[in-house]
Amino acid sequence: MDALRFIARRLVLMIPILFGISILTFVISNTIPGDPARLILGPKATPETLSALQEEMGLNDPLYIQYGNYMAGIFQGDLGQSTYSQRPVSEDLVRYFPATFELTMFAMVITLLIGIPFGIISASRKDKIADQITRVFALMGVAMPAFWLGLLFLLFFYLKIGMFPGSGRLDTGMSPPEYITGMYTVDALLTGNWPVFRSAVMHLVLPGITQAAITIGMITRMTRSSMLEVLGSDYIRTAHAKGGSENRVLYGHALRNGVMPVITLLGMAFGHALGGSILVESVFSWPGLGRYAVNAINYLDFPAVMGVTMLIAVMFILVNLIIDTLYFFIDPRLKHD
Amino acid sequence: MPLLEVTNLKQHFTTKKGFLSEKTIIKAVDGVSISIEEGKTLGIVGESGCGKSSLGRSVLQLVEPTEGSVKFKGEEVIGMNAAQMKELRKEMQIVFQDPYASLNPRNTVRQILEAPLIIHNVGSRAERKEIVESLMDKIGLRKEQLRNYPHEFSGGQRQRIGIARALTLNPKLIIADEPVSALDVSVQSQVLNLMLDLQQEMDLSYMFISHDLSVVQHISDRVAVMYLGKVVEIADVEQLYNHPMHPYTQALLSALPIPDPTKKRDRIILQGDLPSPANPPSGCPFHTRCPIATKECAEIVPNLEEKSTNHLAACIHV
Amino acid sequence: MLLEVNDVSLSLRRDGKYSKILDHVSFQVNKGETVGIVGESGCGKSMTALSLMRLLPDKAKLEGSVELQGEKITNYSKRKLEKVRGNQMSMIFQNPLTSLNPLQTVGTQIEESLILHTNMSKKERRVRVLKLLNDVGLPRVEELIDEYPHQLSGGMRQRIMIAIAMACEPQLLICDEPTTALDVTVQAQILELMNEIKEQTQMGIIMITHDMGVVAEVCDRVIVMYAGKVVEEAPVVELFQNPKHPYTRGLLNSIPKLGQRKQKLGSIPGTVPVPENMPVGCRFADRCSHVMDICKSTVPQVTEIKENHQTACWLYDEEGGNKDATTGSNQSQTTLHY
Repeated sequence: MDALRFIARRLVLMIPILFGISILTFVISNTIPGDPARLILGPKATPETLSALQEEMGLNDPLYIQYGNYMAGIFQGDLGQSTYSQRPVSEDLVRYFPATFELTMFAMVITLLIGIPFGIISASRKDKIADQITRVFALMGVAMPAFWLGLLFLLFFYLKIGMFPGSGRLDTGMSPPEYITGMYTVDALLTGNWPVFRSAVMHLVLPGITQAAITIGMITRMTRSSMLEVLGSDYIRTAHAKGGSENRVLYGHALRNGVMPVITLLGMAFGHALGGSILVESVFSWPGLGRYAVNAINYLDFPAVMGVTMLIAVMFILVNLIIDTLYFFIDPRLKHD
Repeated sequence: MPLLEVTNLKQHFTTKKGFLSEKTIIKAVDGVSISIEEGKTLGIVGESGCGKSSLGRSVLQLVEPTEGSVKFKGEEVIGMNAAQMKELRKEMQIVFQDPYASLNPRNTVRQILEAPLIIHNVGSRAERKEIVESLMDKIGLRKEQLRNYPHEFSGGQRQRIGIARALTLNPKLIIADEPVSALDVSVQSQVLNLMLDLQQEMDLSYMFISHDLSVVQHISDRVAVMYLGKVVEIADVEQLYNHPMHPYTQALLSALPIPDPTKKRDRIILQGDLPSPANPPSGCPFHTRCPIATKECAEIVPNLEEKSTNHLAACIHV
Repeated sequence: MLLEVNDVSLSLRRDGKYSKILDHVSFQVNKGETVGIVGESGCGKSMTALSLMRLLPDKAKLEGSVELQGEKITNYSKRKLEKVRGNQMSMIFQNPLTSLNPLQTVGTQIEESLILHTNMSKKERRVRVLKLLNDVGLPRVEELIDEYPHQLSGGMRQRIMIAIAMACEPQLLICDEPTTALDVTVQAQILELMNEIKEQTQMGIIMITHDMGVVAEVCDRVIVMYAGKVVEEAPVVELFQNPKHPYTRGLLNSIPKLGQRKQKLGSIPGTVPVPENMPVGCRFADRCSHVMDICKSTVPQVTEIKENHQTACWLYDEEGGNKDATTGSNQSQTTLHY
């Protein structure tokens, strides 16, 4: 079975999954008590205007008709109108998504750079001091609520020692770089705008680490346990029996085998990070999808909620598809089966 | 009339790797006919993947056979309803290879041994107690040990408990699937001795499945040799071990290391490995490794035929 | 003498306590000789092998001395020992599938030994790997070199393991149950291959197995281990014809033999004691049908029965033993238990 067929099969499988997600989100957001029409018009609206708006928004139709209308729109690229921002939802997503994507990718890079080495150190020095310390940190990362950790970071690094900026994506007064991808760091790099690049990176640090805290914990723990399992396996014994040194065995044999299951977890971690962006973005006033989603929920802005959910679902599935494909190339056992 | 008569039994498994992928058919058991007389032992021997365990399981209807007939005391077993099946299970029992995995670790030995009696509504409380205690006596354990849990016993003791459980309902036939393979040789002999004693005492019939030729030889009256889902030779044990006909049986016997350093023999060393049961060779399944194979062997599927009295082999060159 | 093992004891840490796994194990292996180590599971056969290679878990306490070609390798530093492993002394294991790295090609795994212990160029190594694959009887080596372990059958995988072990032409090959996981026809192939290799190379082989058939087939001399101690040592024919230690007799009597159908087999009651709960005197006393008072209190010393045949049993010890107990023939003393 070749990789292309594998990818094609996975893409086909995406369709029913997305349908399922759309139905679930649609049903859940429509069973939440509260009337979007009333929320738009405010408490002083007359019953007549209210029922007219309800009729106009299609709120009186049976749920399946509403869903049908929504899906019909999606196939024409229309995600509906946000009742809160009064703009098409698709436009809002394009506006806010790059900020979230930038933050999440930054957090994932930090996760990989810290989580995997920590896990390896922890496993190769099992039960020694280095292991104990990493394990405590990993546990703290998993256990500590992101918003609280974010507040601590703000208090210390921003208010107390002023090392990193505390909110937004750029220093005040600085204008964003020319729009190419919408990710400020990337756009600044592409246009060679160094002051903006520096500022964008500095702004990413605190929210990025906050968002990465949980995933670092997840990845460290997974790397540790997976490495420990591999280090106890027969082929590691064979490698030692050949006369390989500790380091050669660790990096030449154990590492690739040990990191394999971690790669699978990476997809989960990415989903986690995307979901976590809602809290982190609120704490750091990050103008991204998370904050947009919070507002949308507060205002019962169903089209916006649906739009955000669908986008995150698609991202999550795509990232996992990429990871599975990667796996396909790393593990020879999948290729020949 | 034999106690068990299996005719042309087939057990095919279909595996599908997942959505949108092709399926493969594995013919684990492919047209096996055997019979077991009352009080006798039929040994089933073969290498991994030959279908010997699948045969045991489909005879017991633990998996539903694809085709064929299984008659127990002359009565067709395939297609029985649940109530008939329950009655049948009283008379046909199984002993598994790994006695630890097949005994519930959370139950005491008493609970393990009593369970079949309760399920089949046998006897009063007092009678059940008596049955269970006499079983312990039969397998050489003390009745005080009834309150212990499986992990408190050694491997050999656990296998004896596995045998006792199979015996609770006074079965006629025990299908023993590699019952001594997980045991050390000193313990293996205890279990074999026990099985032979019980056979005499309770007039049991065994279907004894094993990869170990010397163990099968020791306990069996008649032996069937399996290769890739088919029986290639079947005969009484002396006849089979002293005058093997099928080239596979010959190779198998000559490959067996003999625990006697003074006997040096010429070996028939087979080339290559067992083909995959998912993709068996054409014609005679053994022709790819057979030292005497000819062109015809790749084309003709040999029938299991009587070559001398009570000695059947499936080979066109014998 | 190729290998001399003197009073090797091993303690492993379990649940915070050290327990003695091997107790003063001594034996020798000569050039071109195959020495079998037999015993039930839990007798310390594999641990003996791993102690020679010093492939032991952390916090293992190893005492005694191991000399390979006159060099006391028990004193070697980790670094120095790495130069010996896979070079002068190699090992193959029971389960060939799990013993090979699933993510590396067969060629890469054989080549690693050459990278570690020789100065061959990349080209030379490839030639050598191809030759090794050929030598262990594998087909279509040019393709095989780039294949992965999961693409091969069990027998082929064990041949790969042998190729890895043979890569640097070691003087000593340690085999830990090399055919236990294999089918009998494949086992015959592997044993045949090992006999060929032995004849060609004149290396010493340690063959660890629980299968007396394999012992009879390939070994020149046999060491019987029980509960971490050597209880008997003899040339293979002598051991099978004239076993002395009741444990050895028990093992031999419990094997079903061709042509002795449905006869009672001998057996050994009970189980091997765990290291945490080792008997004070002879460790076999609780299971022995010839047990005497002294067995329960005092450890028997190694006694020479005749040249090259020794056993550690009070039955044969001039001072403590009751000479009369030895007179019975070994076959008739088979006891029946279950």
